[in-house]
Amino acid sequence: MTPPLVKIAALTKRYGQGAVILQDLNLDIPKGEFVSLIGPSGCGKSTLLKLIASLSPLTSGSLLVDGMTPENAREEMAFIFQEATLLPWRTVTRNIELPLEVQKMATAKRAEICARMRKLVGLDHVPNHYPRQLSGGMKMRVSIARALSLSPKILLLDEPFGALDEMTRDRMGEELLAIRQQQKFTAFFVTHSVAEAVFLSSRIIVLAANPGRVHQDITISFPYPRSAETRESAEFQRCVADVTRVLRAVNPDHA
Amino acid sequence: MSKYLKWYLPVLTGAVILLLWVGLKAALGIGNFILPSPLKIVQAAIAERHLLWQSSLVTLTAATLGFVLAAVVGVLGSMVMALSGNLRLSLYPYILILQMTPIGIFAPILVIWLGPGLPAITVITFLICFFPIVANTTQGLISVDKNMVDLFRMINADRVQEVVLLRLPHALPYFLTGLRIAGSIAMIGGITGDFFAGNSDGGVGGLGYMVLVYNAQLKIPALWATGFCACVCGFIFVTIVIGLNWWLLRKWHDSIVKADL
Repeated sequence: MTPPLVKIAALTKRYGQGAVILQDLNLDIPKGEFVSLIGPSGCGKSTLLKLIASLSPLTSGSLLVDGMTPENAREEMAFIFQEATLLPWRTVTRNIELPLEVQKMATAKRAEICARMRKLVGLDHVPNHYPRQLSGGMKMRVSIARALSLSPKILLLDEPFGALDEMTRDRMGEELLAIRQQQKFTAFFVTHSVAEAVFLSSRIIVLAANPGRVHQDITISFPYPRSAETRESAEFQRCVADVTRVLRAVNPDHA
Repeated sequence: MSKYLKWYLPVLTGAVILLLWVGLKAALGIGNFILPSPLKIVQAAIAERHLLWQSSLVTLTAATLGFVLAAVVGVLGSMVMALSGNLRLSLYPYILILQMTPIGIFAPILVIWLGPGLPAITVITFLICFFPIVANTTQGLISVDKNMVDLFRMINADRVQEVVLLRLPHALPYFLTGLRIAGSIAMIGGITGDFFAGNSDGGVGGLGYMVLVYNAQLKIPALWATGFCACVCGFIFVTIVIGLNWWLLRKWHDSIVKADL
């Protein structure tokens, strides 16, 4: 059996002497999964993402990414924030190639990858636009293209579509899955939307708060590729209802 | 119509002021010593044109040197302070002290150290221009969004790349704001410096020096003409800085680019 891509064992996280954010977390995530993390606020779902990304140190326990410490595995990961975090003084093209530039990749190679990425996210028509000229959805596409430019094994997404309107949000979800058909990556996706989690994921981990811990680990078995029609199926609706019920159980305030 | 309004409304204001000037002077019988007529000032400016031109150049040179020095040292200083919070805490109070002490107190001390002349005037201008540049640029360098910094960590950028590719461009509009403030006071620095450290070595002094000379000679219309020259020089200075600001930010910054989707 192949070892899991991300192996989390007895992980605990607290900031300084503050409250325990995550307690005794155990998770094995095999390669190729699309994992959504949902739960009430304060359950530590974003913190977990930051721990995997090594943007924050763990307090105790172990976390291995592809057999390495998160810090050493950073090159295999990319992070997408809720805001597009584009550099406003750079054009679409120059934003996408930022990670390549930091790696000191040759200009010709950079341009080639960048053109491919623009095509992948459907931004071929605006290579020289500045971020201020783009809509929220387009900015997020640039952010995705930038994250994928170094072909990461793992994509970490912290509520990336949270600031978008619902239509755009659904479209972006569909596009993200379409991109994943071409460029395989394992995804960790933090969201507040059950429907979004069910649509995207092969697995949903429902976290409970105070302290953050795994409440339930749910497998979503709709086959990929999924499309807009998937959302309309009765099966899908039932699944969303089931997961919502689980989420309400851990979040009694909102029952 | 509204396109031309911004041109001829100020001209109209100017005409009203001139009219009031001439009218009040005649009505109240104010003498040329208290308030010279505009005509007298123009005549004085023409009569003294060689001296005024030369001294304007001298003051502009000193103001430019001090201003550029302040920009260079200001950026380097703010990079040092942005690099380390401890260094910032250690240095900032002293930069504030430098700013809070009136330049009129530093100036004579500088003349004792450097002697009268261009170097002293340049340093006086530098002292006036330095603070807005260093304060604004430091603010820009340290106010980068936390997620942006995390992004740079995720793509394994080193410290130099973080400064060059993220912090410096982010600080550019802040730096330019400091530069605009400094540009508007650089001429004041040049003239103040001239008061204390100006001399007529090389045949001619700066505008501040000419103020002292004309005042002593009771050439009051020429004194007014000197003020007019200082004003024009100040406008040239600010126009260049605003032009630079526009040119550097024209493509991406919201302060320049209005919504044009």
